[in-house]
Amino acid sequence: MSGSSSGNETVEYIQHHLTNLCVGDCDPVTHKAAGFWALHLDTVFFSVALGVLMIVVSARLGRNLVTGTPGGFQNFVEMIIDFVSGQVKDTFPGHNPMIAPLALTIFVWVWLMNFMDLIPVDLLPLIASGVLGIEYLKVVPTTDLNTTMAMSLTVFALIIYYNIKVKGVGGYLKMFVFHPFGKFFIPVNIVMSTIEELAKPLSLGLRLFGNLFAGELVFLLIALIGGTMAVGLGALIWFPLQVVLDLGWLIFHLLVITLQAFIFMVLTIVYLAMAHTEDH
Amino acid sequence: MSEQKGPGLLLIGVGTMLTSMTVAGFGLGLFVDYWLDTQPLFMLIFGGLGIVGGIIKVHGLLSKLG
Repeated sequence: MSGSSSGNETVEYIQHHLTNLCVGDCDPVTHKAAGFWALHLDTVFFSVALGVLMIVVSARLGRNLVTGTPGGFQNFVEMIIDFVSGQVKDTFPGHNPMIAPLALTIFVWVWLMNFMDLIPVDLLPLIASGVLGIEYLKVVPTTDLNTTMAMSLTVFALIIYYNIKVKGVGGYLKMFVFHPFGKFFIPVNIVMSTIEELAKPLSLGLRLFGNLFAGELVFLLIALIGGTMAVGLGALIWFPLQVVLDLGWLIFHLLVITLQAFIFMVLTIVYLAMAHTEDH
Repeated sequence: MSEQKGPGLLLIGVGTMLTSMTVAGFGLGLFVDYWLDTQPLFMLIFGGLGIVGGIIKVHGLLSKLG
């Protein structure tokens, strides 16, 4: 195997794993979205499936709640609910019955979508290609910018809604006119405030996407150690190295996925809390 | 307590705030440029404002630490 062909295989392997199952307006060569009406079927499938899983498990648990001495899973779920509820109480001024359920949904859903990153990178794509004949499959919805930006834009829509609901249209627009430099720099204030508002969904979506995409890429690179370098006796060295690195990154990444879900949830609560306060 | 913890938690996102405001500034400028056909005037102006705004925002958030 020459060096350049090995390099090409490596690039192909990574590109293949980072390509979504695109339907609709997609490029026939690169299989990337080529227009607005392109649908990443794998992203939609896995995100909806995980959402349904969350609903079904919650509904089942809700029907079988035990008072007194609850079982292990109920204890675990109560611990998560207490944690999220505590965060909302500490951060959110006043009372809005939608915030805590929203925060809990975001935290659990984002965590579940992130968790797909810990499934061995080749497992589901191999099953999909072997059993269903699906050529491309990207299993982590949060490594698709469409998912993270869709979530952050939904949060952004809620921010605008609550800003207008609490402050009124006039109050919300006043915030753009007089913040941050006062009444003598109105054009600059409008631009600066607009940029500041636009930065909220951008930072939310890009942070989650960037962290998870990078994490996925590291898993792919570790998988390549065993995949392309392990030939003959070399496998005796490279395979154990791959196992050790994979385990190490998996443990570290478990922290990353939890942290990223937590950050998305906390910043959503903080932004919505800011929308509920009269001052900017 | 509730008044202090909320803004304090914004520090979680302080790292990406500067980059996000810069990107948002350039993006907004690009949009206005396409709209008014004035490339690259507003992209540069709004991009600069995004950088300045980001620095002010980050400085404001970090100042609360001290």
